[in-house]
Amino acid sequence: MQRIGVFVCWCGSNIAGTVDVAQVAQSAAAMPGVVYAKDYQYMCSEVGQNMIKQAIAEHGLTRVVVASCSPRMHESTFRKTAAAAGLNPYLVEVANIREHCAWIHKDKAEGTKKAIALTRAAVAKATLNAPLVAGESGVEKRALVIGGGIAGLQTALDIADAGYAVDIVEKSPSIGGKMAQIDKTFPTLDCSACILTPKMVDAATHENITLYTYSEVESVSGFVGNFEVAIRQKARSVDAKKCSGCGLCAEKCPSRKAKSEFDEGLRTRGAIYIPFPQAIPNVPVIDRDECTYFKTGKCGLCSKICPASAVSFEQADEVITQRYGAIVVATGFDMIELDKFGEYQYGQHPDVITSLEFERLTNAAGPTGGKFVRPSDHKKPKKVVFVQCVGSRDTSGRGKPYCSKICCMYTAKHAMLIRDKYPDVEASVFYIDVRTPGKNFDEFQRRAVEEYGVQYIKGMVGKIFPEQDKLMVHGVDALSGETVVIDADLVVLASATKAKDDAEALGRMLSISTDTHDFFTEAHPKLRPVESHTAGIFLAGACQGPKDIPETVSQAGAAAAKAIGLLSKKKLVTNPCVTTVNEALCSGCLACEKICPYGAIAAKTIELTNNGVKETRVVAAVNEALCQGCGGCTVACRAGAIDLKGFTNRQIMAEVDAICF
Amino acid sequence: MEKIAAAVRERAKRALATGEVDRVFAWKRGEFWYDVTPAVFETADETDELLWDSFCVANLSKYLTGAVRQGFKVGVFVKGCDALAFNQLLQDNRISRENVRLFGLPCPGMVDPEKLKKAKRYRGVRAVARAGDVLALQGKHGEQQVEAPAYLYDKCLVCRHPNPVVYDELLAEPQPVRTPDSDRFALVNELEAMSAEEKFLFWQEQFDKCIRCNACRNICPACSCEKCIFDNGESGVAAKANADSCEEQFFHLIRAYHVAGRCVDCGECSRVCPAGIPLHLLNRKIIKDIQAIYGDYEAGLDPNVPAPLATYRLDDADPFDGHQKGGKK
Repeated sequence: MQRIGVFVCWCGSNIAGTVDVAQVAQSAAAMPGVVYAKDYQYMCSEVGQNMIKQAIAEHGLTRVVVASCSPRMHESTFRKTAAAAGLNPYLVEVANIREHCAWIHKDKAEGTKKAIALTRAAVAKATLNAPLVAGESGVEKRALVIGGGIAGLQTALDIADAGYAVDIVEKSPSIGGKMAQIDKTFPTLDCSACILTPKMVDAATHENITLYTYSEVESVSGFVGNFEVAIRQKARSVDAKKCSGCGLCAEKCPSRKAKSEFDEGLRTRGAIYIPFPQAIPNVPVIDRDECTYFKTGKCGLCSKICPASAVSFEQADEVITQRYGAIVVATGFDMIELDKFGEYQYGQHPDVITSLEFERLTNAAGPTGGKFVRPSDHKKPKKVVFVQCVGSRDTSGRGKPYCSKICCMYTAKHAMLIRDKYPDVEASVFYIDVRTPGKNFDEFQRRAVEEYGVQYIKGMVGKIFPEQDKLMVHGVDALSGETVVIDADLVVLASATKAKDDAEALGRMLSISTDTHDFFTEAHPKLRPVESHTAGIFLAGACQGPKDIPETVSQAGAAAAKAIGLLSKKKLVTNPCVTTVNEALCSGCLACEKICPYGAIAAKTIELTNNGVKETRVVAAVNEALCQGCGGCTVACRAGAIDLKGFTNRQIMAEVDAICF
Repeated sequence: MEKIAAAVRERAKRALATGEVDRVFAWKRGEFWYDVTPAVFETADETDELLWDSFCVANLSKYLTGAVRQGFKVGVFVKGCDALAFNQLLQDNRISRENVRLFGLPCPGMVDPEKLKKAKRYRGVRAVARAGDVLALQGKHGEQQVEAPAYLYDKCLVCRHPNPVVYDELLAEPQPVRTPDSDRFALVNELEAMSAEEKFLFWQEQFDKCIRCNACRNICPACSCEKCIFDNGESGVAAKANADSCEEQFFHLIRAYHVAGRCVDCGECSRVCPAGIPLHLLNRKIIKDIQAIYGDYEAGLDPNVPAPLATYRLDDADPFDGHQKGGKK
């Protein structure tokens, strides 16, 4: 018979507010095998831990059950406590009576009943726990950064500076991301290109960094310290080794229908193109959907005029497989489509533009050379209206319920820049609230109002009507209750930010979770903000939620620090909760092999003597170094021939039986 | 059919006489004229007993597993449904292909003695001969000719693979397919149209008849586990008696899910059930759903095509249609 100690935590009022912890301890004392039960205010504190250690010694405990928060939070804490008292750490079982009980219930009587049931299940499981010993695995000293925007670049540079090899995989033809499209940055108004492009060059020339542009992650397998990733490098149709980047091909390409992604569709580009003059690598790419040669087999002009004979229509995609110790996801964000916001005339009238388009219009390298003109007639506008929260904080279902966070600041920036360069132009901003926390942020916005005379109107725009060459903006001033009509020449919409459309698919590939809006979920919102739930995979930048540049850069640095911490380890302690195969029961169907996400199971042929007759048959064999203990195989096995240590079928059944008690 | 039977016997005799194989798996006469039983032939002389007639319904593929892993080279006769089963066993690593010589037999459909009995064609019959779709019932008082399709097994009437999908040599001319594939789902459609309560009552009534003889499991080519979970004392679900009705329900539903995606729809489970439970309908419903969710996939057609339920692809259909993140919307 086991000697089990049960320790019930109050978690302050977190658990004790909804669960009668004394009653849980009292009930636990009567459970089979339990020789000691105690409740305490903070079991994870030093006092609480000492209480456990002391009880192990005094009562000769062979199993420890802690009824507290999620095992994700403190299982490792209590395992260490047990180990310090000489008990195998895997003989500790955690009953989650906080997240699974106290936090989600209000009725104390019911909550207490459930907490007792959960504790009983943990006691039943603990009875069957076996001592386990952790092994070791190596760490591949190389990091993968997915995304080549400012988040990815900063992460890669920081990791590379620490002396580790880093690969950046960027989906588009150039690194730089959204920041490359921006003209000036708040709150200092320094030019985006001036602070970004040197970083791009640093990344491209760093001896520890390899760039894979126009590439995508195709598959990911393995586990922390030992990921194996296949990267698909899409065919550029240009040999990067031969190309000198002269740009002649892009200049002469007769196809001019494609809209420039970099210039937000405000101008066209050739079918062969370099996204922008400072692009890295400075190698053109052929857009095969637009190219006349790929569509009809005729033309081929670029190939004929290329002085380096670098154009290669035959070039095919290449798949590179590489091993990594750590992965940082820095895939960034996008702006929502505005097709559901018909009242703003976006897409209907050329002078209604998005903020990102505005960035390109005011950019010295943009389609107008930085000359501030409106798209319809290239005249200088006299009145500009900015509309904030277009699709942000929107609970109607057309947009996103969250705050996009960056719009208040960039709208103030846009308005300020206009008023600074062209004091004769009027700038008005419609807003719900102005949200500008952050160092020097509120001062910045106030400067827009107080020094630059930007007119802020609290209220939303109801409709915009084109009238002759004006856009009549109908809104309400919520403070005075009066209707406001402005005859604007240009309207700028601060459309909401959103997660990348393929974020969820990437998340599934990496086994990291996404939230309801497809932003990647951090392991803990306060204490582990740059880690994903999957060990060895970290998050940087706006792929985790809307973020401005300063925040993105600091998060990138933090993710890099986490990755460096991992890569600097000689060995990682592996999880001893791995699966084992009972060869006598295994039929060798290998359903487990097919389902294993870590490639830890393979076929093995065994010879055996069955009642004196020699037989050969196939069975499954587990590579314990690769197994991550997910337990998928145990569910796939029809005969129950494969079992997970620490979570054996018997243990799970015991838990279920205890709950159905 | 008698001509083919002679060729079948001849082929088995040659295979054993020349040492091409160590054993031949085929059929021989049982107690009665309608009773044909699977048999193993180890010498050429024994093959005189070997037969091929309208009652060779038993699927021989599953019998191979033991002989193959003991290292014997075996020859086996396979009909369409047997070949599907063979492929499935191959995919499940229960047989190795190189040790098996497959003799393909296009099948005209097998005769259900129960149907003859119900039609009162049973009494006095001593032998049945067959030419195409005409059955000659030979009895004490002479011969009586009847149309075969009226007396074929239901499963044979909706057979989609009368010809083996895999073989080393084919011993007869291919047979035509009788009906479109959709026909086999007619009864499934009827079940689907029932309310949840009606469905439950229907199956409860069926499963209540179960005597846990395990015939369905033992005949099933997808039930090829080394040791069935229901026979394993350690599993916690073993050897449940038919003490209350939920035991049978659990047994049959778990079995249906254990063979899901691997059931070749040979219909043997229903054929061998002494209680007459239409077990194949459970499997057919799952087959229909797999086809609806994952596109055309047929277990046993090609052992190299990954089974949709055992593989994961990013572009897999999401069966939780109508459910979005954060709950149903």
